[in-house]
Amino acid sequence: MDVALLVQYGPAILSGLLMTVQVCVLAGILAVSLALPVSLAVSSPLWLLRVAARTYIEIMRGTPVLIVLFLLYYGGPSIGVRLDALPAGVLGLGCYGAAFFAEIFRAGFQSIPKGQIEAARMVGMTNLQIMRQIKVPQMLALILPPGTNQFIILVKESALLSIITVAELTKTATQMANETFAVVEPYLVIALLYWLFIEIIAQTAAKIEERIRWQG
Amino acid sequence: MSARTAEPMPAGAQSGMTARPPEAKPALQPMIVAKGLRKSFGARQVLHDVDLTVLPSEVVCIIGPSGSGKSTVLRCLAFLERYDDGTVHIEGDLLGYHEVGSRRMPASDRRVDQVRASLGMVFQHFHLWPHMTALANVTTALRVVKRMPRTEAEAQGRAMLAKVGLADRADAYPAALSGGQKQRVAIARALAMQPKAMLFDEPTSALDPELVGEVLAVMKHLAAEGMTMVVVTHEMGFAAHVADRVVFMDAGRIIEQGPPSELFSNPKSERLQQFLATWRERSL
Ligand SMILES: Nc1ncnc2c1ncn2[C@@H]1O[C@H](COP(=O)(O)OP(=O)(O)OP(=O)(O)O)[C@@H](O)[C@H]1O
Ligand SMILES: [Mg+2]
Repeated sequence: MDVALLVQYGPAILSGLLMTVQVCVLAGILAVSLALPVSLAVSSPLWLLRVAARTYIEIMRGTPVLIVLFLLYYGGPSIGVRLDALPAGVLGLGCYGAAFFAEIFRAGFQSIPKGQIEAARMVGMTNLQIMRQIKVPQMLALILPPGTNQFIILVKESALLSIITVAELTKTATQMANETFAVVEPYLVIALLYWLFIEIIAQTAAKIEERIRWQG
Repeated sequence: MSARTAEPMPAGAQSGMTARPPEAKPALQPMIVAKGLRKSFGARQVLHDVDLTVLPSEVVCIIGPSGSGKSTVLRCLAFLERYDDGTVHIEGDLLGYHEVGSRRMPASDRRVDQVRASLGMVFQHFHLWPHMTALANVTTALRVVKRMPRTEAEAQGRAMLAKVGLADRADAYPAALSGGQKQRVAIARALAMQPKAMLFDEPTSALDPELVGEVLAVMKHLAAEGMTMVVVTHEMGFAAHVADRVVFMDAGRIIEQGPPSELFSNPKSERLQQFLATWRERSL
């Protein structure tokens, strides 16, 4: 293990880590905020919305994320969409993750017993109030474990952004390996950093789960 | 057809120049009037021309074998189930539909909520909201539907919990409550909205036998206070002692109804005789 090498590349690795965190947070926010309307559309009474949402989910589920990224970054310009690597990466990762989060949300909505909704109707709540007071708070608790998993998957997928030249952790390590011919050090270090990042996410989720007192 | 005609007109009320103005309400307007209710699930008709009138402060118990349509009637009265034919009037207002000429159109959600506001409902399986404390279960609708300030809502919520004997459990989550306590919170939740009538669908059927009494006691108290109640129940003792009228249903029809003393001691239809005989055998 060449420690001097790590010291030399320390700043680059750190900035790669920050880029990975940034990409994951942005893509995560995008995925979740896109997933909510998609999950609602899937069970919408409107035929068109239902089909559109279903199609979106099926396409994303059936495509490797790398292809989505390639299409966006390299294929985008041919239809007039010219994106820098970072926005293309965040967009691709976010839109891809949204399909999976949407399925998690849908399952969450469905697992709220119909009787609870009827009870809310009987005390006069509107659909919006039922959503806000009854469905969403319970759903958040229900989707926390699978949602955490999905976010961890997204963190791992973010390594693919190195291929479309985003200077995140994996890209930094590859560059380091190319320049120094060291293989073990760069990849071992970033493996450790990915693990650390994911561990923090998992622990945070566990803490939140503990604080949800109502689950019997 | 005007909603008011649900109330029988006094003879001669419609003749002469001094017809009653349409907004005048008769002295004892029925709370709930269901007429000719029909309901099918798919091809299966589960309600056949059900007529039921409930007067203010009346306690009506609906009994009958499993699958006879008791819950469906109750759910139609609350429009949790859309009835196919017939009418339900709540204090003279048509529930769930509005009439355009001779055609009838589904009423808007808002209109349904408006008419339904005089009804409270208690379910067999409580259906408390598990992510809220007992107090929040009672106060949420006060705050978001009636837009009551939090402190006021909580004062009222605590009063309601006290009424069902649960003042000390206000901060407990449903998961920490016994079945009987859950059902009493559910009753408090419905009462908080100050309904004029309460509908109960087998409120004690999901409870351990030793917890049935505490819920029935709350219901008896409500009845004594003059609450209008429609109670689907298998508790014959409750029906016998508390009901003003007992309605016996079988196969989607009302077979017989009357004061409990009459119905239980002198059942006219064979089906009710059978039903009561089976019940007596089982409770020996
Ligand atoms: N949502 C539904 N879809 C299809 N069929 C239904 C539905 N709800 C009720 N039914 C059927 O309608 C009939 C009447 O049911 P209902 O629940 O009103 O009976 P009940 O008298 O309340 O019975 P129980 O004493 O078991 O509660 C039954 O045959 C039932 O299977
Ligand atoms: Mg029933």
